[in-house]
Amino acid sequence: MAVDWELIAFFILSAFEIIGSVLVVINKRLVRAAFWLAMTLVTIGVIYLLFLSEFVFLIQILVYAGAVPVLMVFGIMLTRRKIMDEPGQEAPE
Amino acid sequence: MSAPLIPNLFAVCKVLVAAIIGIVQSIIYALSGPIPPLRGLGDWLGLDAVITVVTYLIVVTVVVLWVTVLNLFTVMWVERKLYSRLQDRYGIMISIWSLPFWPFNRVHRPTHKGLGYLQNLADGVKLIQKENITPRNADSAMFHISPVLIASSTLMVFAVLPWSSGFYVANLDLGILFILAAFSLAPLGILIAGYAANNKYTLVGGFRAAAMLLSYSIPMVLAVIALVVFTGTLDPVKIVQQQDRPLVAFGTTLPLPAWYVFGPQFLGFLIFSVAMIAEMERVPFDIPEAEAELVEGWTTEYSGMRFGIVFAFKWLRMLAACALISILYLGGWSGPVFTTLSVGGIPVPIVPEEIWFLLRIYFLAAFFVVLSWSVPRVRIDQILNIGWKRLIPYSLLAILVAAGFRVLG
Repeated sequence: MAVDWELIAFFILSAFEIIGSVLVVINKRLVRAAFWLAMTLVTIGVIYLLFLSEFVFLIQILVYAGAVPVLMVFGIMLTRRKIMDEPGQEAPE
Repeated sequence: MSAPLIPNLFAVCKVLVAAIIGIVQSIIYALSGPIPPLRGLGDWLGLDAVITVVTYLIVVTVVVLWVTVLNLFTVMWVERKLYSRLQDRYGIMISIWSLPFWPFNRVHRPTHKGLGYLQNLADGVKLIQKENITPRNADSAMFHISPVLIASSTLMVFAVLPWSSGFYVANLDLGILFILAAFSLAPLGILIAGYAANNKYTLVGGFRAAAMLLSYSIPMVLAVIALVVFTGTLDPVKIVQQQDRPLVAFGTTLPLPAWYVFGPQFLGFLIFSVAMIAEMERVPFDIPEAEAELVEGWTTEYSGMRFGIVFAFKWLRMLAACALISILYLGGWSGPVFTTLSVGGIPVPIVPEEIWFLLRIYFLAAFFVVLSWSVPRVRIDQILNIGWKRLIPYSLLAILVAAGFRVLG
């Protein structure tokens, strides 16, 4: 039985990507949302690799894995949000 | 002009793996007399696909061991010895005779007059024994995933970094771009580590690290673009081949090699080196872990082997940075062979490419060690000013100069 491994890889990657992008939207903690966004963008890059376009994959990693920390830094620093949990207190909403 | 010791790592490993699998196969066939189902296992082991897959695993293991065991320990030892000598003391001197068990516990051997090469191994064993502590209010999942991110993104560099024209795991057409992409993944892990530990020092250290690494990876990439205008390729092996020729001959015996540092790329070389010192987080750009202000920066809350990993991988990044500088600007592994011995019909160069490459790497590493232990630390706003207001305009100028020389021929 011939198994289309590329199709299976594509489905797995798409599932990761959809889960990641849903978690970006519904996650209430800013840093975790940015982390899931990074995972989503890297997964999109791997799908580019599946389409045999290595250059777009590498540029995706180089640009987005570099840009997401900027997003995190400025998202945390420029919004007046409580960024650290004080001891004995629940996580900020 | 130069010759590698290992002409093709994959082919060498494939021959060895095929020989070992042949031995295992004959043992299995011998056992299949009393146990008949083993014959199918023996046939399966002999398949070419199985041998190829095992060979890939062996090649990856060889390169990982070469990088993390040999070169990482050596570069750590070089740093510890060299900065001790710079501070006018001996540094690590524990010898192998201080081990407390049989072949080493001789009575009359000096235990503290050695070279101290195995001190880092002893430190690693000590760190493995220690408890892995997670801070109480830390974001546990992210706290534990960031050493994995940092370690894997650093090891990804060595998947395509060639050590000679034959000693590599994979040779991509876009190798340099892959290395830069793997380098640029680290700020994400560092920022996650700094945030997740829920500590003021780690948070400030992580923010500083992310801001610094990002602002210095832009001139790094721009300097590489200025180089690519000249090379026309991103394949590290081809870039080194282009530098393996004499540029100007002074007399007959001493030609100046055509390294890219000699010529219009000199500005790009300076920018790339400065950006790489920042990417290594070394003094003068070690503001993410300024020991006097932030206990240990973003690595403060890690303990046990996790601290060992995030600490030792800075030296691994230093190795990768030195290798990248020497590939791009200092001629990589090119150098004279002098003479070739013949060992059992196989030609063995007396000074192979690997030796020349390691010489360059350790010379650069020693230079960075001396530099970082003799200059003061730069303040964070000065670092960002140097990055954004000096290095980026200069790297754009380097692109302009390179393009101009390219147009003029």
